Amino acid sequence: MDNHDDPRNGTVQPDSKKPKLTHPISSHELLHEFSHHQTAVARINNGSFGSCPRSILTAQTTWQLRFLQQPDDFFFNTLRNGILDSRKIIKNLINADDVEEISLIDNATTAAAIVLQQIGHHFSSGKFCRNDTVIIFHCAYQAVKKSIEAYVIPVGGSVIEVELPFPVNSNEEIIAEFKKGIERGKINGGRVRLAIIDHITSMPSVVIPVRELIRVCRENEVDQVFVDGAHALGSMEVDVKEIGADFYVSNLYKWFFSPPSVAFMYCNKNKKLNDVHHPVVAHEYGNGLPAESAWVGMRDYSPQLVVPSIMEFVNRFEGGIEGIMKRNHNMVVKMGVMLKEAWGTNLGSPPEMCASMIMIGLPSKIRVMSDDDALRLRFYLRVYHAIEVPVYYQALGNGERDARDKDGFITGYVRISHQVYNIVDDYNRLKTAIIQLLQDGKICSELPKE
Amino acid sequence: MASEKNNHHRSIPDINGTHPTPKKPKLSSSSNFITASEIQSEFSHHDSAVSRINNGSFGSCPSSILSAQQQWQLKYLRQPDHFYFNHLKPAINNSRSIIQNLVNAKDINEISIVDNATTAAAIVLQHTAWCFREGKFNKGDVVVMLHYAYGAVKKSMEAYVTRAGGKVIEVPLPFPVSSNDEIVTEFRKALEKGKVDGKKIRLAVIDHVTSMPCVVIPVKELIQICREEGVEQVFVDAAHSIGCTDVDMQDIGADFYTTNLHKWFFCPPSIAFLYTKKNPKTGGGGDLHHPVVSHEYGNGLAVESAWIGTRDYSAQLVVPEALEFVNRLEGGIEGIKKRNHEAVIEMGEMLVKAWGTHLGSPKHMCASMVMVGLPTCFGVRSDSDALTLRTHLRDVFGVEVPIYYRPPRDGEVDPVTGYARIFYQVYNKVEDYYKFRDAVNQLVDNGFACTLLSK
Repeated sequence: MDNHDDPRNGTVQPDSKKPKLTHPISSHELLHEFSHHQTAVARINNGSFGSCPRSILTAQTTWQLRFLQQPDDFFFNTLRNGILDSRKIIKNLINADDVEEISLIDNATTAAAIVLQQIGHHFSSGKFCRNDTVIIFHCAYQAVKKSIEAYVIPVGGSVIEVELPFPVNSNEEIIAEFKKGIERGKINGGRVRLAIIDHITSMPSVVIPVRELIRVCRENEVDQVFVDGAHALGSMEVDVKEIGADFYVSNLYKWFFSPPSVAFMYCNKNKKLNDVHHPVVAHEYGNGLPAESAWVGMRDYSPQLVVPSIMEFVNRFEGGIEGIMKRNHNMVVKMGVMLKEAWGTNLGSPPEMCASMIMIGLPSKIRVMSDDDALRLRFYLRVYHAIEVPVYYQALGNGERDARDKDGFITGYVRISHQVYNIVDDYNRLKTAIIQLLQDGKICSELPKE
Repeated sequence: MASEKNNHHRSIPDINGTHPTPKKPKLSSSSNFITASEIQSEFSHHDSAVSRINNGSFGSCPSSILSAQQQWQLKYLRQPDHFYFNHLKPAINNSRSIIQNLVNAKDINEISIVDNATTAAAIVLQHTAWCFREGKFNKGDVVVMLHYAYGAVKKSMEAYVTRAGGKVIEVPLPFPVSSNDEIVTEFRKALEKGKVDGKKIRLAVIDHVTSMPCVVIPVKELIQICREEGVEQVFVDAAHSIGCTDVDMQDIGADFYTTNLHKWFFCPPSIAFLYTKKNPKTGGGGDLHHPVVSHEYGNGLAVESAWIGTRDYSAQLVVPEALEFVNRLEGGIEGIKKRNHEAVIEMGEMLVKAWGTHLGSPKHMCASMVMVGLPTCFGVRSDSDALTLRTHLRDVFGVEVPIYYRPPRDGEVDPVTGYARIFYQVYNKVEDYYKFRDAVNQLVDNGFACTLLSK
């Protein structure tokens, strides 16, 4: 676990991205790496909980054992440096200037709490006024919305929700809606103090044109921009300098093969955001977010220590992480197109607005008419077909945008993921299961509930 | 460092289709009690070259519970969606239910599982901060805490209470201490200070067992005084207590109470619970929230804490196995506490006799730990000296023991300024303490002083 690349500062192409010259991972080895996944399950939902190969679980176990053997020694002599090594690798991966901009935390949910707690303080202290707002997409992750409810609303802030057009055809549609939202924020002389922009929305899943939206934010004097890139690392390129956000978070356990759970949070040092704290306060309070996050009390920090091992793993693939991302994207689009053609439906967004996940319309005859219907269908697919795939209900909107197939309006979508362990058969099984439902004349509300 | 133990059981098995079921707690008959050699085996992953007499810092976890934890981890990894939808909540509730019984809480909703006492402190103190911000508490109202409160809790006070306009009063404590009365006297003085100028004392944060120096505080008595003196709420930071002191919520009578289960209750890192007394008038628990807000926000602290985003919750799921392990020892948790206490006092007395020093507190103010005075010739003159000595003991002698620097008071002649905090847990042996005794004796013989090691 010590032989990670030691990237030099200042290079545009960090060494850690270049794959080592060893034999690429064989299909047999790949199978073994994920042999702990439940066989017979078509696991096409990597986006929710991610996945972790055996060799990294083994590396994690090694770290855990080192701690258990002599925890004091580990705490004093090993932990900090191990976390620093991981942070350095992340810094290079995302093209950040300084490792002090990188903190390791549990997950994107924690990052939201960190950002929103300090926003809340600004409202309490009077730095922000009652008219001021936070802008988010209406489909922002539920935990983020709750965090706003907890930290911003009680102290006088309010929220503007931007409708995400879906199904969506182009970046311009999203940018236009966002601009409208910003304008709403400026009514009554208020200011938009924080924009929370998903890099890849969760449900429905679409890649958002973050660079353009951040440009709009800067033009409109939005104080802080927080990009929630929960899905991003390992599914699309993340260049934080190019993106230009003040805060950026991405989980490592979704698409970057880490065990549950670890995420990185980037805080742009040029913004001099000095009031950013981890909400679980411990000895390092006031020493900067990276130090605070590296010790939030006694816990198992092993997921934060395996990043070097992750680099070793991804570099066993042709093209390293870039090769993986490219192949995942191509495959998920190919499978998406295969499904939409088999079902006579649509894709939720064009391929260039997808990374390693894509939304595919379900035949209208299945009649996904509510969130409850969507859950029933998901349960049905899991229990009766051993297929794990999230189902999304899209309420009808304004006629023109509403997608149709030959039988009616499309109101249900599946979100398929492709990760290195997936096989074509996973998606054929989904294709067949849905077609079977159609042939049986079943609709969602008739499916058994959990 | 010692070579890694052969832990083949920790490698990931190939499992296809079988669902590993966690073991149900069994009733032990006397013939089923764990043997001494089984205990050593359970802790064989500990570095055998080290005299590990610091159970209090990071705790310890037997192999059988680590295995049980791994089963849960694998179950999740196999099919995480299924685990999330169908297994996680019932398993956490099972753990909560066991804890509820263990600590004599009236209602399972009073028990929330969190990572550690540090998190529990953030939860309680964030609530206090909200009360100040919303004007429920007036600026300048007081929160009382002990001077020897844990460092993280002090920082949490700064981050949440002071920042929101509260005034923090610290209760100075004598150390070495010889009776509960000394603590009670100082506590009463602090409460008087707090009520000056008509201010109200909104919260008292009281350690059940202070960390450094390590002393058992008479919490019941102090809480009684709080009620008499109109302190609104009491939060007991009992990081050490379950498995080490008595933990009866009705008996102690606090409004909030937290303890770690990974220190003395054999759970893996990390798990703690926060008890929040149900308000008989409002039925509510005081509207506390987990600071990491997720989907379950507003559904009660216990439910919020059971999902704070995707993470490994496996340490929270092995409480049944921990209880089973405890019951394999004679007398269960009571037997363990008693034996640990007697053993650590015996070891402490052995050491102070060998070194010509004294214990930091009387027996009845110790649980599974005791502060042992170090020879004055070491010249411990600062926290930095203490850390240097600790490192030296670890690196040169293979003894892991925290050292405390106790600043001398005016007029003291040749005071003891260095104390070692020794613990005793089921895996410890007399040899561990002999090794420490001999190390110190050797250092004395060699004319060791902390200044010699300072850079």
